[in-house]
Amino acid sequence: MPVTKVLTAGIGEADLRDIETYRQRGGYRQWERAVRELQPADVLDLAEKSGLRGRGGAAFPTGRKWSFLPSEKHPRYLVCNCDEAEPGTFKDHMLLEESPHLVLEGMLIGSYGIACHHAFIYIRGEFKRGYEIFCAALEEARAAGYVGKNVFGSGYDIDVTVHRGAGAYICGEETGLLNSLEGKRGEPRLKPPFPAIEGLYGMPTVVNNVETLAYLVPIMERGAQWFSSVGTERSKGYKIVSVSGHVRNPGNYEVALGTTVREIIELAGGLRPGRTFAAVQPGGGSSACIFEEHLDWPYDYESMTKAGSMLGSGGFIVFDDTTDFVNAAYNLVRFFGHESCGQCTPCREGSSWMERVLERLVRHRGIPGDYEMLLRVSGSITGLNLCALGDSIEPFLKSVMLRFPEAFRSRIVAETVAR
Amino acid sequence: MSGETRDVMSRKLGPTCGATEGGSEEAEQQERSRDGGATSGSEASRRTARRKHQTMVEAEQNFAALLERLRPECETLMARYEQKRSALLPIVHLFQGHQGFVSLEAMNAAAEMLEMSPAEVEAVVSFYTLLYRRPVGKYVLQVCRGLSCSINGAEDIMAYFREKLGIGHLETTGDGLFSYEEVECLAACDRATCMEVNLEFVYDLTPAKVDELLESIRAGTYGVAPMTQTLPPGRTWEIAQNDQIASGRKSPGAVRVEDPDNAGGVGDASGTIMLDHLINRDVYMFGRTNERAVVDSRAVVETMGERADHAGH
Repeated sequence: MPVTKVLTAGIGEADLRDIETYRQRGGYRQWERAVRELQPADVLDLAEKSGLRGRGGAAFPTGRKWSFLPSEKHPRYLVCNCDEAEPGTFKDHMLLEESPHLVLEGMLIGSYGIACHHAFIYIRGEFKRGYEIFCAALEEARAAGYVGKNVFGSGYDIDVTVHRGAGAYICGEETGLLNSLEGKRGEPRLKPPFPAIEGLYGMPTVVNNVETLAYLVPIMERGAQWFSSVGTERSKGYKIVSVSGHVRNPGNYEVALGTTVREIIELAGGLRPGRTFAAVQPGGGSSACIFEEHLDWPYDYESMTKAGSMLGSGGFIVFDDTTDFVNAAYNLVRFFGHESCGQCTPCREGSSWMERVLERLVRHRGIPGDYEMLLRVSGSITGLNLCALGDSIEPFLKSVMLRFPEAFRSRIVAETVAR
Repeated sequence: MSGETRDVMSRKLGPTCGATEGGSEEAEQQERSRDGGATSGSEASRRTARRKHQTMVEAEQNFAALLERLRPECETLMARYEQKRSALLPIVHLFQGHQGFVSLEAMNAAAEMLEMSPAEVEAVVSFYTLLYRRPVGKYVLQVCRGLSCSINGAEDIMAYFREKLGIGHLETTGDGLFSYEEVECLAACDRATCMEVNLEFVYDLTPAKVDELLESIRAGTYGVAPMTQTLPPGRTWEIAQNDQIASGRKSPGAVRVEDPDNAGGVGDASGTIMLDHLINRDVYMFGRTNERAVVDSRAVVETMGERADHAGH
């Protein structure tokens, strides 16, 4: 199955940052059609029928997420989550820098779909260039009358505010993001209430990923049927997969869900000469590895879950036989330890302790019992935290420890030597 | 520097500026232009001393001036949100852009504008890694240590940087030109190893590319603008969370432990939170003495695991 360019269409061929170029390719026509011809309920209906699910990682059905907003509570907000920091994921970064108008148009259509009049985009602090590009695009769109009061003479008002983060992975978690947007520490909130009921400033809020919102534009254009006819039974449509690691041509590849894992690796040019396949981490740093036996499995939400992992954000890291999995596990556990906000004890303490145990394994200074202890401690972090960060520590570690136990055990020195 | 000058410094400027030697570049430049650039002999040294004193005083006045200059922009930022507190990050970004870091004065000013307590502001500022509460180098080099970069040679690139710069993670060179940091995934894994220089991406790093980068920055020909530097940076901009560990002193909670070399518990009598410096730092850096403690601490961790197991059932 080849690459299908939907969101990525035109990237690398035309300067889509320029509003004229974007318009020539049909840009903002769907936004105009939405406010002129459709009711918000029609847009919501379209989102629901398309089967679009959140592309940020949680894969929650977008239309259903919108439908949770209580009808009597106003104002309500839409927040576009562009705090992309999941290890191995770089699709939003590309969309923001290469196709900012598409991101904006998706946000506008999404805002209309939930009938909100103030939308926000939270851009990761490290994406300074992307922030500048998006701000310039927003100004162009404002000048063209696509954003502001009474757009297209429809009587509909929409304002968009760009908010820049300042370096914190946890702000990609939707309630952490909302706290950060409110000028607080980016610490996730206790749920429920979910943001749909009590989000930004205590009002109903939808937080959607960049890619999710961007897909609204082609869905508007070609219809829900077009999107839902692609993919598998429950995983509809397309997905940008960020392929990196030990492949010849790493990059973003947009494919229909259900493309096999092997095909995705081949799209990225396959492994380097002379190397053999070891594993793939198919859904960002939070996902478990899958192995050779899963190569011909379809890449969709259900299959990846069934394979013991998840599709997550679409960060797809390929590992060949040169990989030191102890070091890789140490790298990710250190990542989660560094990014833990510190609210929940299991996550905060567990991650930093395991990091230290893994560090000594990396240095071939493990102590007998370390292997069992790591599995036990990582298992006892999962499920005991306010947000998913704590639960993200175990999957990769456990999957490679069970698959390559010798890699870990061989780093343990006998206790007598340690003394 | 005379004692008197130092006195003035600490009285006038408070903790953020206490450790400084030079002063605001902006102020120094103004001074220089007032002098008409002419300096000679002992006149010069007297002038230097006076200049230092004056720049310190001016730094404070400068902040007041800066604040007045930025206030309208801050108000615009505040007006963008339904609740003005949301403008906190944009406001501190703004101050950092002008001062090179988020100074105590800036945090106080933000607190006043947003009707927050200064402590709340600092609590927020300290949460984010891109906000510096101490001055940093003119070029902040952030090399990605994420997994994709790591398996594609990032470790070698990082080692090369450290060797070339003569500094480590979270440190600034003595000349105040470079700050170096190893950061988490920068979302550019297709171009590993990647980095940011003052938040502008550099891709596909090789040692040759690193050489080129450092040389052009030193030569002043690099395409990315330097960060504003209003105060000379220290060795690190990090504010140690646990200064007593760094200085070898025991934490308050460790008093119950009789054997000072043993697993000194921090915070509770069971002595559970000591792995940080015991397991790695002591074993690898100080040799035999504490290895017994390491074995003991393993026992503690085991117990913890069992406890967690019980709790699960």
